[in-house]
Amino acid sequence: MNRIVRAITQTRELFTVAFLIILFLGTGIVNPSFLAPDNILLCLNGSVIYILLAIGVSFVITTGDIDVSVGATLGLTAAVCATMIRDGSSLIMASITALTIGALIGLVNGLGVTKLRIPAIIMTLGVNGLVRGSIYVYTEGKWVENLPAVFKSYGQITLAGFVNLFLLITVLIVIGVYLYLNKGKKGKYFAAIGDNMGGATLIGIPVDKTRILAFVLCGVFAALAGIIFASKIGFVTPTAGNGYEMKAIAACVLGGVSLTGGVGSVIGAMFGAIIMSSISRILVFLQFSSNWDDTITGILLIIIVVADALIQKHFKEKARRERLAARDLKALRAFEEMGGDAE
Amino acid sequence: MNMIGNLNWKKIIFRWEMALIFILVMEIIIFGSINPRFLKLPVLLGSINDYISICIIALFGTIVMITGGIDISGGAIVGLTSMVLGLLWQDAGLNIWVAVILCLLTGVLCGALNGFLISYVGVQAMVVTLGGMFLYSGLAVVLSTLSVSSAYEGISGFPQAFIRIAGGKVFGFIPNPFIIFLILVVIAYVLLHKSRFGRYVFLVGVNPNAADFSGINHRFVSMFTYMLSGLSASVAGVVLTSYLGSCRADLGNELTMPIVTAVVLGGTAITGGRGSIIGTALAAIVIGLLRFGLQMSGVSTQYLDIPVGLLLIVAVAARGASLYMKRPSFAAKKQKAV
Amino acid sequence: MGSSNNDGNQIPAISIKGISKSFASNVVLREINLDVFEGDVVALIGGNGAGKSTLMKILMGIYQPDGGEISISGKRVNLSTPSAALANGIYLVPQEPMLFPNMTVEENIVLGFKEKRSELHVRLEALIENLGWDLKLDRKAESLSIAEQQLVEILRGLLRNSKILILDEPTSALTFNEIESLFRIITDLHSNGISIFYITHRLTEVFDIATRVVILRDGQITMEGSVSQFNQEMLIQGLLPTNYERAAKKEKVCKNIDGSAIMPLLEVKNFSGYGFTSINLKVYPGEILGLAGVVGAGRTEFAVTVFGKDVVKNGNVLLCGEDITGKKCSTIIEKGLIYVPEDRHLNGIYSISDVEANVTSGILGNFNKFFVDRKKANALTDDYIKDFRIKVTGRDQLTASLSGGNQQKVVLAKALATNPKVVILDEPTRGIDAGARGDVYRIINELREQGVAVVLISSDIEEVVELSDRVATMYQGRINHTFRGESITVDNLMSASFGVYKEEVPHE
Repeated sequence: MNRIVRAITQTRELFTVAFLIILFLGTGIVNPSFLAPDNILLCLNGSVIYILLAIGVSFVITTGDIDVSVGATLGLTAAVCATMIRDGSSLIMASITALTIGALIGLVNGLGVTKLRIPAIIMTLGVNGLVRGSIYVYTEGKWVENLPAVFKSYGQITLAGFVNLFLLITVLIVIGVYLYLNKGKKGKYFAAIGDNMGGATLIGIPVDKTRILAFVLCGVFAALAGIIFASKIGFVTPTAGNGYEMKAIAACVLGGVSLTGGVGSVIGAMFGAIIMSSISRILVFLQFSSNWDDTITGILLIIIVVADALIQKHFKEKARRERLAARDLKALRAFEEMGGDAE
Repeated sequence: MNMIGNLNWKKIIFRWEMALIFILVMEIIIFGSINPRFLKLPVLLGSINDYISICIIALFGTIVMITGGIDISGGAIVGLTSMVLGLLWQDAGLNIWVAVILCLLTGVLCGALNGFLISYVGVQAMVVTLGGMFLYSGLAVVLSTLSVSSAYEGISGFPQAFIRIAGGKVFGFIPNPFIIFLILVVIAYVLLHKSRFGRYVFLVGVNPNAADFSGINHRFVSMFTYMLSGLSASVAGVVLTSYLGSCRADLGNELTMPIVTAVVLGGTAITGGRGSIIGTALAAIVIGLLRFGLQMSGVSTQYLDIPVGLLLIVAVAARGASLYMKRPSFAAKKQKAV
Repeated sequence: MGSSNNDGNQIPAISIKGISKSFASNVVLREINLDVFEGDVVALIGGNGAGKSTLMKILMGIYQPDGGEISISGKRVNLSTPSAALANGIYLVPQEPMLFPNMTVEENIVLGFKEKRSELHVRLEALIENLGWDLKLDRKAESLSIAEQQLVEILRGLLRNSKILILDEPTSALTFNEIESLFRIITDLHSNGISIFYITHRLTEVFDIATRVVILRDGQITMEGSVSQFNQEMLIQGLLPTNYERAAKKEKVCKNIDGSAIMPLLEVKNFSGYGFTSINLKVYPGEILGLAGVVGAGRTEFAVTVFGKDVVKNGNVLLCGEDITGKKCSTIIEKGLIYVPEDRHLNGIYSISDVEANVTSGILGNFNKFFVDRKKANALTDDYIKDFRIKVTGRDQLTASLSGGNQQKVVLAKALATNPKVVILDEPTRGIDAGARGDVYRIINELREQGVAVVLISSDIEEVVELSDRVATMYQGRINHTFRGESITVDNLMSASFGVYKEEVPHE
């Protein structure tokens, strides 16, 4: 039993994948049309924006911080990108501008958290307000509409007849990030800092730099999500991205990324995002009202974190006891050798 | 030297609340000069209807944060309790006051679930209340579909007595919500700063281990703060429903960030152990009046996230710096011992 | 005195000259001079607060010395950060391994290197094979035993080609077989010319593996030399206070309480839990029972379990004849037993609360069920401030701004305000100045006069000797000896604590 529990905790993303497969298959049993390739692709296409946000946030969460400004960052970068393209800029220029803005927002967050020592949640909450307000200033509270058809059509481009361009980009990014984190020299720094910041300092990891980098990457991914958002939706409202920050965090937690830091992977975050964005579709296929969407998300979240907390607690306590018991065994040996008696 | 360090500290608390009052006065002067209507007492007092929920929930969110936790599910509970109230009254046909009591109970239960998972199971407060936020707002949406009224319209047509909770005025010019807020400030103040429970809240926030060794039931203390927070959210739900005259599932959707902002701006340390009800009450009004004043001056409310966000970052950074400057008390110890 | 490997003209692998360090007014290291040569295994022994850890942390670049210099292979170095120390070939294996629990063994070892992963993997495998260890590289660190975690830490050091390894009490959490394999490794490293600092509390180990011995006391090296020049007696001598005369009798009269005539206030019967086994103790009214032993002997675990904060495996605790085994902590306090924890900052004080809130934290409910009774709380606090001579500007001063000694008095006041019949004090004078120490002793003696039963856990053996009516020593989770009356001497307690007491002393 313990071994099973341990196996699950050791390969958390596998657990998420298994959960996703069960979810899809289960829905397919009730309603076989859910498993039609077209529908699965629709599920995946629909989750692209959440996946990108979740990847970004997972960097920050893995280092032990949190970022609640990604929703606003998405909104601002989507607005900027859409406005520039509407006014005739090239896609490249608009994208570079959007990504730079995302990186700058991340940099501000990172500097505030590491240099000014403002708790991450406060810093990013404040920046969230600033950025959200900036969207209104920038758009003057108006919708960004009338985007060129070409820009809006990117979302419809498919390769080999069925792979959506955005989905392909996202999957490539996930693979790239995964390789960077697992094979790159510094990829493990993020998790190491979240795992044991003191230990990371001891072996010479640049802690502050890495934490700032995590925030910057988070901002960049939010900007990328913003660009795709503008193209997919075709217009940008000043409230674009409202509440997405919480959904991104929820996707991470669903995917096994622990908010205490050091645990989780981009693969997990990706599948977490897919589960979350598919719930409403699944509900429809199960003849439920999609109104249950948030309720189910909430219940799933709570079940997962509670199970996780209980398992962690169990192992911690067990390790402590083993340690003390080892001491005792040793004492017994020593006593036998010395012919000592316990009285 | 120690004495000086001590006085400094007192001064900082003093200054912080003074600073909030100063900002408040400035707001009134500036907005008053832009739009004289702002200075009319009924208008000024009436503005509280726009931000009463933030004020109420922030008061008790402060207590949660002092124990070292955080509750971001308050807004969701507002929507949920509003729907519970409407359903019980309209679809279950209960007396409106019975419905109100059951609705408050719902808030307590939501808080109890949060608190239990946080203090007894040991899950991070941020995650639990994030899950709670989805769960409670989700349930509110589900409930809204159960009603015979359409979800968009919401349930309305409440009895006059109920509408008067928020709509009524004392002495003909003080709106009831203002009185409700004052009463809650007094209750929260007594609870946090005068009662044994409040003392325990601070001690648990400063050092939960030490509290444990002192025989304080720190798990219960912490769970109870979430129940209070849940209760306050349901009170806000009732007041808001009464004010609007209809219940809607999305009543509290945009409240989370302003609530946390008010609590932190009020001087509560996110790491726990420090904070005051008066500070939070002032901060909530500062934020509320800022929104209201700018709106009256013809600025869209949406721009207000900028000054509020700035205020938050600057306030926390400044307080961090002031704590940094407090460090010399260690140097003082050194000199004294030599 | 020379060292085993020193042939006179060799350059020391590491040379420490005149290193001093103080924290606030507390001098921790005074002008330490030490040369360590290639292949030396230096056993560093000394009591708590002798300065061992501080010295090692200075070598690791965690602390900066106030004065003095360090040279490595003859070159002066500046160890300003852990990275600088690593670059100079120094590696510290901390007592509690600092691993990344969610990473694999290999990731834990190779993290922070500049080289390519694949190269490191080859080197690592070669290293492990060379050492002949059985360690799976793909296991998660959290699944490792403490011994295995220590191996990982040592591998980290070796893979970095460290020339100087510091092992901080590496055997404190190891089992017998693990200790044996660790010793084999150390012997191996020694023959490969790696210098090792070996911090330990276990004197027998010194003779098993060390080539040199350095004894620290009060921040000074009191004895140093090749291990062959020493025996256990001499080590204990070195640990004793410099001005201590072995023959000196205690001035104070020990109470000799007749156990058959009165009921003990606290009785522990065949009590076992995690970290201690089969403890039998009786403490009588007006008696101070000293509980001596080295760090990790299981004294704190025992006390905490009596206090109801950990699982009881076996046995009973009786308070005034009433069974309180496994009761809740708050119930136990109510019944009249209080425990004053050893780590003041972690478990004792409420740092950013004022003195009054600290003192009254345990007894607010006695005044008024709902409100904080300011009048009574203030009066009580003022009483304690006066009685315990707590130096404050007022009862509203923040505890964090008090000196260590005054903080400790606040912690004592908090505990004693509950009006206990039995008090368990865990290291009550750790890290406090001489004046406050005197006050704490006075408080403890007053308790004794009032007929309170006191259990005094302390690693400061002189303190135990000075205060106790009766002493039990704990060694590796068990009580190995009890002493009373004239047999309570620093010598006896020291050797019993280190598990080497052999004298025939009649005891029950």
